[in-house]
Amino acid sequence: MELLLTNLAHGFGVALSFQNLTFALLGALIGTAIGVLPGIGPVATISLLLPITFGLPATTAIIMLAGIFYGAQYGGSTTAILLNLPGEVSSVVTTLEGYKMARNGRAGAALATAAIGSFFAGTVGTVLVAASGPLLTQVALSFGPADYFSLMLLGLIIASVLAQGSVVKAIGMVVFGVALGLVGTDVQTGQQRFTFGIPELSDGIGFVPVAMGMFGIAEIVLNLERPEARSVLTNKVGSLWLTKEEFRRATPAVLRGTVVGSFLGILPGGGASLAAFGSYMMERKMSKGRDQFGSGAIEGVAGPEAANNAAAQTSFIPLLTLGIPSNAVMALMVGALIIQGIQPGPRMVEAQPDLFWGLIASMWVGNLMLLVINLPMIGMWVKLLQVPYKYLYPAILVFCSIGVYSLNNNVFDVYMTVLFSVFGYMCNKLRLEAAPLLIGFVLGPMMEEHLRRAMLLSRGDVMVFLQRPISATMLAIGFIALALMLLPSLRKGKDKALAE
Amino acid sequence: MSNVVARRGVLATSVFAPHVLRAQGWPSQTIRLVVPYAPGGTTDLMARLVSQPLAERLGVAITIENRPGAGATVGSLAVAQAAPDGHTLLMSNIASHGIGPSLYPNIRYDAVRDFSHIALITENPSVFVANPRAGITSLAELAQRHRASSGGLDMATSGAGSSNHMLVVLMGRALGRDINHIPFRGAGPAMTAVIAGQVPLMSDSLPSAASHLRAGSVVGVAMSSAQRHPAFPAIPTFREQGHDIVGTGWFGLSGPAGMAASVVDHINREVRAILATAEQQARFAELGGTPGRLSAAEYTDYVRREVEYWAPVVRASGAQPD
Repeated sequence: MELLLTNLAHGFGVALSFQNLTFALLGALIGTAIGVLPGIGPVATISLLLPITFGLPATTAIIMLAGIFYGAQYGGSTTAILLNLPGEVSSVVTTLEGYKMARNGRAGAALATAAIGSFFAGTVGTVLVAASGPLLTQVALSFGPADYFSLMLLGLIIASVLAQGSVVKAIGMVVFGVALGLVGTDVQTGQQRFTFGIPELSDGIGFVPVAMGMFGIAEIVLNLERPEARSVLTNKVGSLWLTKEEFRRATPAVLRGTVVGSFLGILPGGGASLAAFGSYMMERKMSKGRDQFGSGAIEGVAGPEAANNAAAQTSFIPLLTLGIPSNAVMALMVGALIIQGIQPGPRMVEAQPDLFWGLIASMWVGNLMLLVINLPMIGMWVKLLQVPYKYLYPAILVFCSIGVYSLNNNVFDVYMTVLFSVFGYMCNKLRLEAAPLLIGFVLGPMMEEHLRRAMLLSRGDVMVFLQRPISATMLAIGFIALALMLLPSLRKGKDKALAE
Repeated sequence: MSNVVARRGVLATSVFAPHVLRAQGWPSQTIRLVVPYAPGGTTDLMARLVSQPLAERLGVAITIENRPGAGATVGSLAVAQAAPDGHTLLMSNIASHGIGPSLYPNIRYDAVRDFSHIALITENPSVFVANPRAGITSLAELAQRHRASSGGLDMATSGAGSSNHMLVVLMGRALGRDINHIPFRGAGPAMTAVIAGQVPLMSDSLPSAASHLRAGSVVGVAMSSAQRHPAFPAIPTFREQGHDIVGTGWFGLSGPAGMAASVVDHINREVRAILATAEQQARFAELGGTPGRLSAAEYTDYVRREVEYWAPVVRASGAQPD
């Protein structure tokens, strides 16, 4: 403990130097800006800005890049809440309740919740990274393919429980989402599936074109269709601050989200995106305001936002303790370090104490800066809604196109976005929800991969899913959830049958 | 908001643009270097390591454009179809120009004829690594365990159709029994599984395995180069252990077919000069690569031989996407 405090003090000494503070602030500002621009994510930005870090000391460079990363997480929730535009997997969940809150005139409260929840979760995440990074790594390493599969299956089961309207339609959308996720190269055999000879499809359909089309752009078309919907948005700005009631409801959600996010964030691969979904599902079932979900429940913003920020911090753990990047942003960080002549790996803590503890301290400093930057700006962001829609929507469309293009520097992704916008509009008209589809789309391919890997390793023995304790527990929870969902409806069906 | 976009453009280009006397006509504008992989990978890293000093020497900015997709063939095709004016270049590599031509029958470029191959940047061996608790430290132990276990051994790789996968196929053929190939999405997840002990073995490229070997989180079993690697002299080669398997990954610089010979030679000269500097030599050694020394003609020949070498191996692997 004492050692930890000494180390942290050393870290703050590094992080609070004038140069490091300046670059942390610069990173946070750039990150917020690109997070707000729909579609332009931290990966594209960090890769563009990498050259300017060559001239900086390694620690300063990493502090700035890390600032961009969590700045983008903060900024991403802004467009999700105000415009229904998720730029990343984790902000899809924020659109669900956040955008509804904005339509109810609670945009300011939703943004404030997101910022404060993120800050709290970021603080906890940072402490976890500092205090128990190596220990948490062992937890992450104990997750085998069978355990991942069961965890995600649990996610899908709860996703269909989560449906707002017809359960049948929701299951249909989940299954269709899984099918969309299977497009591309088969990981095990290298076979092309449903790519129709289009090379761009061989790596699968991109997440951003699907999410942006089905949520953001379809929403724009619907708004243009209904003049009254637009005026609702622009007139009802409402109070910026949280009411006492909102604060009381948001607090436990933030706490739960932080726990879920911190844990799922350390799982290599997809941890951060699972975190937001996981927290949303949890809030929907457990929070006091669960009956308000679908019409702007503050728990649905507070929990997932805390979860994704906690996960953003803990996703550094595999990188710092094992030298293994858990997502594309971390892979870029590794690249930046190697260019600086530092080999990231298990020995980084001893070999580069300045970098390691400086980075950890700067995570917290960065989160604090973001809170300070974001809270006063909420008023400004909310004013954005008062811009006449005829000026706002062409601008959004242009930024979306730029963002989507910048993903792979390929026009193909723009065409895909158009396709999914049309599809999203049709779904809305048919009262089909986009969220279950997206959950299936994200989880489906991961589940397939882990299922088949587990089967490959067990030589085709299905029992592996029940023999592993983690996996067995997940399956048991899933089974209970399914039973709880089905029982009342079964009973209701029976009652109806008896009445007739 | 539009300011941000504009500023990003300026930042990206203004970084390298020192004033150096330029050769006549070329380069007359920013050079676009297409990396056919996502940012952050080994290819991307190599491109960034080389492009910075190259931009200084050529006196123009070089912007890196990541065009990932389809085993690096999407970005490669884009360059094959670009104007051969020397302002569009590609990080050619073993996936897109060695194995890809056999792996993807519908490939829309010829790896040799549709490109002006300019310079080999680096070669790096692959290495079989094992979890320290697996008790496999040599190919003899590997072979014995493979024969003894009922289902055979499992070996992870960064993905189906990669050069690392091909080495697993070659090893299985040499042992007379296929090794159970466990492909992952990228080297990171695969290495995690090996360190966690879910899979005992992995075939990985040396640059990605280097830090884990140094830290002792995995042990080296066999190196796929012809001689022992100077940075890891303790790891014996396949040949030393009685298996004639040699396979090295590689990256190079190429452009569209029909580039002026003077431009090709100019770039080749500068790249070799950069690779010869002590700084780059040290950097490459640390990463586990060997800097290239080939002329443009030699590199073209190198690519041709690679295409011929991998065709039968890919067929034997059964890893044909279509």
